[in-house]
Amino acid sequence: MTALLEIDGLTGGYQDTNVVFDISVKIEAGSLLGVLGRNGVGKTTFARLVQGGIQASHGEIRLDGQPIGNLPAHVRRCLGIGYMPQTAMVFDDLTVQENLSLGRNGKPPDRYFDLFPRLAERLKQPAGTMSGGERKILAFVRTMIEDTKLIILDEPSEGVQPENIDRMAGCLKERVAEGAGVLLCEQNLNMLAGVSDLFLGIDSGRVSMTGTAASTSREDLNAVLML
Amino acid sequence: MSSVLLLNLAWQISTLALVALGLAIVFGKLRIMNMAHGEFVMIGAYAPVITSMLGLPGWLQLPVCLATVGFVAFVLERTIIRHLYGRMFDSLLATWGIAILLREIVELVFGRGYQSVSPPLTGTFSVLGADYPAYRIAVIIGIVLGFIGLYLWNTRSKVATQIKAMVGNPELAEAIGIDTARLSAGAFVFGCCTAGVAGLILAPTVRIEPMMGLDYLIRSFFALVVGGLGSLEGLGIGAGIIAGTQTFLGAVASQTYGYLAVLTLSILFLWLKPNGVRSSSH
Amino acid sequence: MAYQIGLYLIYGIAAQGIGFLWGKTGVLPLGQSLFFGIAAYVTAITLKVDGNLFLNLVLAAMVLALIAGVAFVLATLVFRGRNESGPYFSLITLALVMIAEQVAGTATSLTGGFNGMSGFNSLGDLDPFGNFYYVIVAATVAVSLLLFILNRLPINLIAKAVLDNEPRMQLLGFPTHMIKGAAFAFSAMIAAMAGGLFASHQGIVTPTSTGFALSAEMVILTAVGGRFHVLGPLIGAVIVGWASAELRGSFPYWELLMALVFILVVLKAPGGIAELLEAAFRRVWPKTPTPLTPSVVAPPTRSGTRPAPLRFEDVQLKIGVVRILNGVSFETPATGIVSVIGPNGAGKTSALNTITGNLNVTGGRIMLGEVRIDSRPPHNALGNGIGRKLQVPSVFFSLSVSENLAIAMMAGRLRMADLFRTTPLQWRSRSLSRVLNNPSVPLKNELTDPVQHLPQGHRQFLEYAMTVAAEPSVLLLDEPCAGLSPDETALMTELVRVYQIETAGLVIIIEHDMSIVEAISDKVLVLHLGQVLAFDDYKKIRDNPDVQAVYAGGTK
Repeated sequence: MTALLEIDGLTGGYQDTNVVFDISVKIEAGSLLGVLGRNGVGKTTFARLVQGGIQASHGEIRLDGQPIGNLPAHVRRCLGIGYMPQTAMVFDDLTVQENLSLGRNGKPPDRYFDLFPRLAERLKQPAGTMSGGERKILAFVRTMIEDTKLIILDEPSEGVQPENIDRMAGCLKERVAEGAGVLLCEQNLNMLAGVSDLFLGIDSGRVSMTGTAASTSREDLNAVLML
Repeated sequence: MSSVLLLNLAWQISTLALVALGLAIVFGKLRIMNMAHGEFVMIGAYAPVITSMLGLPGWLQLPVCLATVGFVAFVLERTIIRHLYGRMFDSLLATWGIAILLREIVELVFGRGYQSVSPPLTGTFSVLGADYPAYRIAVIIGIVLGFIGLYLWNTRSKVATQIKAMVGNPELAEAIGIDTARLSAGAFVFGCCTAGVAGLILAPTVRIEPMMGLDYLIRSFFALVVGGLGSLEGLGIGAGIIAGTQTFLGAVASQTYGYLAVLTLSILFLWLKPNGVRSSSH
Repeated sequence: MAYQIGLYLIYGIAAQGIGFLWGKTGVLPLGQSLFFGIAAYVTAITLKVDGNLFLNLVLAAMVLALIAGVAFVLATLVFRGRNESGPYFSLITLALVMIAEQVAGTATSLTGGFNGMSGFNSLGDLDPFGNFYYVIVAATVAVSLLLFILNRLPINLIAKAVLDNEPRMQLLGFPTHMIKGAAFAFSAMIAAMAGGLFASHQGIVTPTSTGFALSAEMVILTAVGGRFHVLGPLIGAVIVGWASAELRGSFPYWELLMALVFILVVLKAPGGIAELLEAAFRRVWPKTPTPLTPSVVAPPTRSGTRPAPLRFEDVQLKIGVVRILNGVSFETPATGIVSVIGPNGAGKTSALNTITGNLNVTGGRIMLGEVRIDSRPPHNALGNGIGRKLQVPSVFFSLSVSENLAIAMMAGRLRMADLFRTTPLQWRSRSLSRVLNNPSVPLKNELTDPVQHLPQGHRQFLEYAMTVAAEPSVLLLDEPCAGLSPDETALMTELVRVYQIETAGLVIIIEHDMSIVEAISDKVLVLHLGQVLAFDDYKKIRDNPDVQAVYAGGTK
């Protein structure tokens, strides 16, 4: 049986400089892969290679067994890959409402307004006038309401207050329980440790650690970040 | 104020609004400072010249115009313009080169001299006690109806929001499933085609020649500057102020004073209200 | 031949002025022939009235000074209160040149109308087809030398930094509108000089000399030749001028070819011919980047004013219809570390923005000691002793790490006279050395790296180092630990603590992580919905039921 997402020997980067090398990993439907690593080791590059914002120079990416490595990002989105970037994660010029309604096949965001009431108050406001943490939350909710099978998130917790991070983790668990696969790049172990089924540590663009939630201790995770 | 002056005002304002519409899309939405905008007006104006040269029936003027302008715009977008999104000054320079290129090509094909064509509607129509060319009245009504239609479509369609999203953050737009290559090419071609149609409409009333575009470009820019980028109402207001000032001063004083007044007005807006006349309403 | 080359060089000089302004500060002038033409007309009128060489030269100097002054005032007024160059200024220069062309064509009594002015001898009665050529060559050499010298001075780096990141330059205390205004004035003066030479050389001045077409032509010459290099515009002017004279007659597609070349240059070689030449040259003689070496002890900073308490008095902030701050009042101690916490969207970053003047308050006032500091332009903040690190690291991405640090060293220290010395590029100070010499701070090994290749965490440290280089007595830090790993976070908090102890100043830090807040804060300010919820020491804040309610409930 094929996994939701299969990555084989993925290598790529920007222009002619490769940043990540030979990464292979699988994500099953209904599971969450936590990707961790220090600054600048290639987490963002890895996420963008899978999402399609940049094209890999080697290796293969398969979604439901179909190769998608050569497809542009908007086609991958139509095939069911959602993405929340680390920076520039909302449309600053559009209102909160427009940000939430622009994605494909979006579900109504109402239930998320109970968790993040500030969003509901700011529907008519341009997203660019909100604070950094609020924009993260808006981007997160936008990613959640899209009808996708694989969700890629790049540091969603950065600049978000701890209570909202916990709520984000809760939302992720729900989507996983509904059968979605999640690829979560994080440095915040409080967020990552509670939700991941599998861990993938990256250092200098290469896999430095893998493990399941059961087999990996907090010290193992710290070791990846501390090196 | 005589009714002829009033009708002239309506004619100038409505045609300027149509001419500037394409620039409002390409500059206002796509953020390409299209210095070749006037050349698309010029190419559109040559459409009746083409049909009469080829001996085609008059009703083919519009299809020929759209096909020619659309084809040129599409080729330019795919080869040149698409590298220029997010590089506003570079877009200004490259499209300035495109403008020269288009003028030279047209000059090689049709020669440097003036051409003129006759309007599809002749005769006059009596409005407000003045005899006014029927063609112009038909055009004014057509443009007003066209803008109402565009306004209604714009309020219902997501396309304007998608373009805004794409220009502000192209990578995120791709990530949420917008085909940015298709959307930008579509918007650019559409904008250029409206310029071409404007040229076609103006053709019977002006002298058609390769250099005719520059004046339309400049007045369109100033209409957008005064009205503010990004909204149809702003475009209408800007066209009203620019064409109104120029026509009125041209009638009561001289063309030079009208021209100088428009330039001065534009400088004041660029300096003090760079977002246009409507920016104060926020 | 020399006559033609003379003309190309005159256009080349004007284009060098454009290259200086556009290549360094990013301001694209579309109306440079305004100054070119005005100077040409003034020269024509003067030469017609009186041929006395000395008198003419004195008058020329006065006219140049006047043009520079007017250009400076104009540009400074337009750029004031903005932090980008945008297309608006370019369009203003375009409209101005169109007005000038129209006036020159209409004011027949003054300018001779469309036929222009002629019938005057050249400057000093030199032969335009002979000796006047050497005057032009001398002027070309002089302008080029001047530009080469400017390249070695701090202004070069300052101009590049303005182009790269204007808001950051303002927070480093540089009045960017005046810097751009001065660059514009300088380029206008060069254009005017070229215009004077033009009138004298050609013996006729028509409205096209102050027209839009000539302006555009000069911009094209600059772009094709290369705007980033002193000699680029000259090369462009001579090559294009010569080629067009040779080919225009024999080759009917000449204009077409020119347009295509121009488009290609814009798309594929933004540095123009000069950059292609330099790349070829560097392939034979490669150049290794050397970091700027800080070797000169910097003069004392002017931003380390005496410690003073910061006081918000009923501060209101509305943007559009949105109320961001809703009557914020508090007073910090004069020294110590104050943490600002609060739910996302509480107004924390906006509060810092009102302190630095990035946002103007709509009510109330902010005092630093006895000085009112709200609603002043951001470049005044550092002069008041306020340094600021932004939420998303804001550094000069196109410059190297050492260039970034050199700019920061000039902040709050540079005086007018220093602009004309090279030593400011080598300044160093204790506070900066302390950060760089800390073995855990990554910057020391990447001094020549362009900042755009630095990972996010390293940028955080770079921006921090740049902010403390001016030794501000009030240091505002907006989530300095965001995106940092646990060990980097520990390092950053340590740096902040040491800085506060050394300067005995005030540090205001926005932070979400309560363990950090607990570790470093003397006082904690809790903002919620644009109001102060609590302001106390950490223990009392932790036990405050209101604060607990806000953090636990997610309700309003």
